[in-house]
Amino acid sequence: MTPTTEDTVLADLTGMLTALLEDEYGVDDVEITMTTTFNRDLELESIDLVTLAGLLQEHYGTKVNFAEFLAGMEFDEIIELTVGRLVEYVVQSLKAAEAG
Amino acid sequence: MAMVDTGQLRLHVQRMSPPEGVRPVATAVLVHGLLTDSLASYYFTIAPPFALAGIDVVMYDLRGHGRSGRPATGYTLDDNIDDLEALLDRLEVTGPVHLVGNSYGGTVAFGYAARHPERAASVSLIESEPATAAWAPKLGGILSRVLHELAHNEDDALAWISANRGHNTARLAKGAARLARETSLSQDIPASGVLTEDQIRAVHCPVLGIYGGDSDLALLAPWLESVLPDCRTVVIPGHEHSVLVEAAGTIGGHILSLIQSTTGAAEVAAR
Repeated sequence: MTPTTEDTVLADLTGMLTALLEDEYGVDDVEITMTTTFNRDLELESIDLVTLAGLLQEHYGTKVNFAEFLAGMEFDEIIELTVGRLVEYVVQSLKAAEAG
Repeated sequence: MAMVDTGQLRLHVQRMSPPEGVRPVATAVLVHGLLTDSLASYYFTIAPPFALAGIDVVMYDLRGHGRSGRPATGYTLDDNIDDLEALLDRLEVTGPVHLVGNSYGGTVAFGYAARHPERAASVSLIESEPATAAWAPKLGGILSRVLHELAHNEDDALAWISANRGHNTARLAKGAARLARETSLSQDIPASGVLTEDQIRAVHCPVLGIYGGDSDLALLAPWLESVLPDCRTVVIPGHEHSVLVEAAGTIGGHILSLIQSTTGAAEVAAR
């Protein structure tokens, strides 16, 4: 099994976001980095984040709970959310699941 | 992503279930508001704690909104209640459910409870009201003012919103303008059938009204308590119409207490 690192998770997320952007908006040339914001840079709407939650669940199972992660945040934090912060959360969740 | 075909259109549905090993104690159906809203307003706020508390949560996008189908016509309140009824029938969720509605979604939820009192275990109205004779022209007036601004000078209106309310709100407004352009929603809503006071009174399940202290709708709280047989209202100071996303924890707590008190789950959990 590939060890869980920020790089591997960023690659996973990039794949999911690229597919989502292409399916929903026909966009296929977006660069995604750790500092990319979901709202301002990717122009994702909150309903797109629900779709992303589904993709994360398909990929990682119940080890990663995106809905709970966002439910613990203030509205402004969600607006400012970066791909990097989600990457850190996923890495942390996967490591916790491995340890547990 | 789950799509449910009601026979009329496809509705986008999301369910959140209690964690493995936790027996569901109740089902809650969450209905979002008009134009800029979608089930996401629940998915990332009150739905996760509800599921953790043992509630089977059903959320869906109203027609024209989110990922649901967008027919050109059919946007009266009764059309929305028909959709909710068909959806719950398809999902085989026909037992009494706890209905929660934000803004217009509360009017839909209350309308469902008025149509099927036996299917409503409770109704929670967030910044919302039943469809009274005064409701339809009031909402029609708001829709027409907002959409008139957007339709006549969309670029200027969006630039103003962006400068004064932020980029995100401007983008939501753009989506709302598109929905209004592509559908008969703004004509259909004010033409909706409304409830008589007797029909409103006939909703005998517990009703919780939650309002932002700075919202005009908070003025309705005493009337709602006086007209309904079992109603309590809560006013949350310092908030306006967006109180659900701004004070989700407080709102979720109030609704959860109501659901738990009607199912007896709180007593069980306290032992």
